[in-house]
Amino acid sequence: MATDLSEVHDRELLTRIRTGDEEAFRGLFRRYAPNAMALARRVVRQPFLAEEIVQEAFLALWRNPTAYDQERGSVRSWLLGTVHHRAVDAVRREESQRRRAEGAVSAEASEPDFSETVAVELDAPEERRAVRTALEELPPEQREVIELMYFEGLSQSTIAERLSLPLGTVKSRTLLGMRRLRAALIGMER
Amino acid sequence: MQRRDHQLIEELLSASVLGALEPEEHAVLDREMAAHGPHCDECLELRRDYGEVAGRLAFALEPTALRPGFEDETVRLARGAPADTVVQIPSRKDHSRIWRGLGAVAAALVLFAGGWLARDLGGGGDSATAVLPSRVISFHGTGGNLSVAFEPGTPGLYLLGSDLPAPPSGKVYEVWMIQGGTPVRGACFRPSPNGSLFTFLNAELGTTQAMAVTVEPSSCSSAPTSEPILTASITQA
Repeated sequence: MATDLSEVHDRELLTRIRTGDEEAFRGLFRRYAPNAMALARRVVRQPFLAEEIVQEAFLALWRNPTAYDQERGSVRSWLLGTVHHRAVDAVRREESQRRRAEGAVSAEASEPDFSETVAVELDAPEERRAVRTALEELPPEQREVIELMYFEGLSQSTIAERLSLPLGTVKSRTLLGMRRLRAALIGMER
Repeated sequence: MQRRDHQLIEELLSASVLGALEPEEHAVLDREMAAHGPHCDECLELRRDYGEVAGRLAFALEPTALRPGFEDETVRLARGAPADTVVQIPSRKDHSRIWRGLGAVAAALVLFAGGWLARDLGGGGDSATAVLPSRVISFHGTGGNLSVAFEPGTPGLYLLGSDLPAPPSGKVYEVWMIQGGTPVRGACFRPSPNGSLFTFLNAELGTTQAMAVTVEPSSCSSAPTSEPILTASITQA
């Protein structure tokens, strides 16, 4: 399976990074930095801040590659999870939805978009299709809360406020949605 | 032996990986996980699977191409070198043409670039590939030395600085292009610890009449929130 081969390659790169292999670092960077950047930009809505987050995540990987524990999942999920965590932290630190909203409009208008020319060697189209399908197949109310959390960096209590829902409802939608995603994305590999 | 209930752990873990828990909920999760012990197979499986799901969600987005030089900059930082980009020096035969065009404002650039310029010329500049932009314009103001270098009609410009004071904590510098009297966002930046700056900005000057630099929050601003500390006239240069 392509995904498994991809993971084998990632772990090999990580092993080489542990020996200070710069080319291996570049290899992992090229594979995942474009996705990491897309994620960070989506969450923080500030290209400058997103770059900082992605760079810090990869530098942390370089400085401490042993932080990755294969018992906790794939290299790419760990890496992108790190980027996501940093991005959400940044959003919480900034704590300014108004500025983010304004920034989003301005950033979209003024920042160059290279996505037409990006070349990603990973079997990303297949991965992307699988993830998008899994998200699309969620009931809309479950998808909504998961997307608000993951892509907007909102907490469950903030979402409850924003959607005027009881917190318990948001929690149950999250759990049910995540169970479905788990079955769709992880279950199919077993 | 009593069978432990994993419902609460699953509920908290699945939200935790999405970054959706409040600090007090994280504490509950940590407490519950600790109560189940480090060898709770179901806990480990839940953590691994939901972590994997969260990581995969990133692939729903179209990847974003990185700005030119970002990879090299990151590798340089990984090596422990300063973040500033090192300019590629053009071949010897191009030097006179390029430097002739710089005029008096080149002095600031030379001061900044002198160290590695001398080094690279001495080491054989013929191996380099890029050509420096033909126009360099200095900013004026109270915030250190800053110049913008560009090739008219070619997208992209360089910002070169020296003696730039570090912005206050939680702040960055933001450069604006004034077009039709309206400031258009350029980029945010922080100088290196020694006050120098060399960065590429993937933007088109287009109808820009002037450029300005303000001090903004580190999240950057969509419109200037303070008075410019540096300005440069583009059209009159």
